Amino acid sequence: MPMDAVTGLVYPVAGLLGLYAFVSLVSLIWEGIDRKLVARMQRRIGPPILQPLYDFLKLSSKETIIPSTANYMFRVAPVLALATAIALLAYTPMGFTPILASRGDVIVFIYLLTLISFFKIVGAISSGNPYAKIGAAREATVMVSREPAMMLAIFTIMWRLGKLGVPKPFSMGIFYTHNIWEIGTPMSFVGAVILLYVFCVWLASEIEVGFFNIPDAEEEIAEGLLVEYSGRYLALLKLTNSIKAFISASLVVAIFFPWGVSGYLNLTGFSADVVNLFFHALKVFALLFAVQSVFRAVTGRLKITQAVDFLWKNVFLASLVGSLLIAMEVIM
Amino acid sequence: MTERVEYWVKIPFGPIHPGLEEPEKFILTLDGEKIIDVDVKLGYNLRGIQWIALRRNYIQIMYLAERMCGICSFSHNHTYTRAVEEAGGIEVPERAEYIRVIIGELERIHSHLLNLGVLAHDIGYDTLLHLTWLAREKVMDTLEAVSGNRVNYSMVTIGGVRRDIDEKKRRIILDMIKYYREVFPQIEEAFLHDPTIEARFRDTAVISKRVALEQGAVGPTGRGSGIRDDARWSERLGVYPDLGIKPVMPQDVTGERPRGDVFDRMAVRIGELYQSLELIEHALDGMPDGKIKAFPKDNVLYAKLRLMVDGEGIGRYEAPRGELVHYVRGKKGSDKPLRWKPREPTFPNLFSVAKGVIGDQVADFVVAVASIDPCLSCTDRVAVIEDGKRKVLTEKDLLKESIRKTREINPEIKGDPTPVGASCSR
Repeated sequence: MPMDAVTGLVYPVAGLLGLYAFVSLVSLIWEGIDRKLVARMQRRIGPPILQPLYDFLKLSSKETIIPSTANYMFRVAPVLALATAIALLAYTPMGFTPILASRGDVIVFIYLLTLISFFKIVGAISSGNPYAKIGAAREATVMVSREPAMMLAIFTIMWRLGKLGVPKPFSMGIFYTHNIWEIGTPMSFVGAVILLYVFCVWLASEIEVGFFNIPDAEEEIAEGLLVEYSGRYLALLKLTNSIKAFISASLVVAIFFPWGVSGYLNLTGFSADVVNLFFHALKVFALLFAVQSVFRAVTGRLKITQAVDFLWKNVFLASLVGSLLIAMEVIM
Repeated sequence: MTERVEYWVKIPFGPIHPGLEEPEKFILTLDGEKIIDVDVKLGYNLRGIQWIALRRNYIQIMYLAERMCGICSFSHNHTYTRAVEEAGGIEVPERAEYIRVIIGELERIHSHLLNLGVLAHDIGYDTLLHLTWLAREKVMDTLEAVSGNRVNYSMVTIGGVRRDIDEKKRRIILDMIKYYREVFPQIEEAFLHDPTIEARFRDTAVISKRVALEQGAVGPTGRGSGIRDDARWSERLGVYPDLGIKPVMPQDVTGERPRGDVFDRMAVRIGELYQSLELIEHALDGMPDGKIKAFPKDNVLYAKLRLMVDGEGIGRYEAPRGELVHYVRGKKGSDKPLRWKPREPTFPNLFSVAKGVIGDQVADFVVAVASIDPCLSCTDRVAVIEDGKRKVLTEKDLLKESIRKTREINPEIKGDPTPVGASCSR
């Protein structure tokens, strides 16, 4: 019986804490790399690579100002957002089957991912600042426009992969038993490429870069959602954003590029997972380089109406077509 | 039975806002993201320039005028100088006029490049901002080589210019022209043919020709709305007619009818970049030899101005932002002007764009304000602040104040202070 408690409770908690430490560090470092790369593209020198880490430490030690118009949700929201992000790590595929993977946990994953945005919105609305409210309205608008395309695509992929025969259908661990390229028909290949496009746009809108830097538009509404946050709460929100970017990118990497290197190195067990995790982080960096760094270097932001139009008329349609192509031979 | 309820909310935009370069305040009435009304509040950048000028003589005001604004420092100095020259009837040597043209157009290039970068920054297109400002460094370096300063060139003096453009400086300017002949097509390509920029700038903050005429829009703002006007062309200013000046209209650049939106204003600026290069080339070619100042020394100038300036003079010049007017009134025997009044292009343009942006989204507002290239340090003149609150003085208040002051000086004054006649009954 004590043995069961160790395997059932201690290992997952230890694993989650380890993942949390690793992802926090890596995602902040990625942000530094991203800033450096974009600076080089803009012919600037750019900040040191560890700058986001320094920022986090500095913000943690600075005075936190609470506006007099704010209510208690203003203080609770950043903590809840970070807590949600940590919980989300237990369901995120990062080179190995997630810690708490079970049947149907994709729904929990999407739910928690949306919950982070939701807490940010609640915190912003509670601040009483009009700019934060505009930012919150924009965030909500973009959120309801971007998620349907992603949900349709991910459910279709999971359902189609489930048809190939897996023990736990609709689980995030499914990508490490079968992947989307294994379906094998030419139609499904075309569908997979279209869905890759859908997921890249979704990722860009999830981490709010390039076209989709709308809720946090600095020049228009003075950082929108974050306008009243300072000190520790700002540090928490920035960390949450970085972790969220890493998690969102992890999803796309797991769906489209799930291959690990541990098989080539003849590793098994824990060491295989660690090697795969590091390799996964590299893949996430490569994906974020394309979707975040390059995208934000070569575009400006759209108006909110244009972004919603784009997400529904272009991305959602692409998602529909791609899903149909993937599901085609099973339906017919 | 459902009744449409409109939730209008007023939010302050400024005085300090990341999208605004200078302190200026707008009160936006919003319906969701839609702008219903814009209220412009000026006066956050008041430094009392005209008050300072009351204590300075003609020559000292040249330096003051130059420091009104960092970007159009040449324009202010130049226009003030023209006003004094008109008031005093001072002839300017032809070579000096050519040098003024060269410096003025160099300043226009740097101002327009700066504004293009700001426009790109306001839609979050920071790459374009940094690359445009990188290109701007060349003209700043050229200005430094020619005049000795990156801003506040001090090139103009009353009756001529201070420094000559010799063979070495001429070569530097020609080098710069060669560099920009390569760079400007790239800038044009980036700004006029980019889908993001087109999506954001087309049909944004449309100032119709009628509104532009009503509000008196000048410069690229007016030309973008289809008003064919350029102070250098319509006033036949200096040697500009000889150099083949003509107003740059949006249709010359985009090939479409002017719509008066942000894109057209930007297109006019890009057209003027090329025009400035041509003007500098022509001026360098056609520059005659001769002296560069009417009076060789400043003490001679000072003595002459005391005697010559009698009456009023108006200087007009097309600054990068639009038509700039300086008014100077002087009296014989005094070394100070009785009145010096600059009128900046931003003032009418700001109100035209405040009208033009109504009906657009919040996201468009900062772009719209940047598209007129506002220069608030030039514009702000008068602010009355009492107990920390701003007050607007009407004609009635001013009359009351002057009566109070008269009583204070001479309590035994006779006569009825009540205004007489219909014109004062307001």
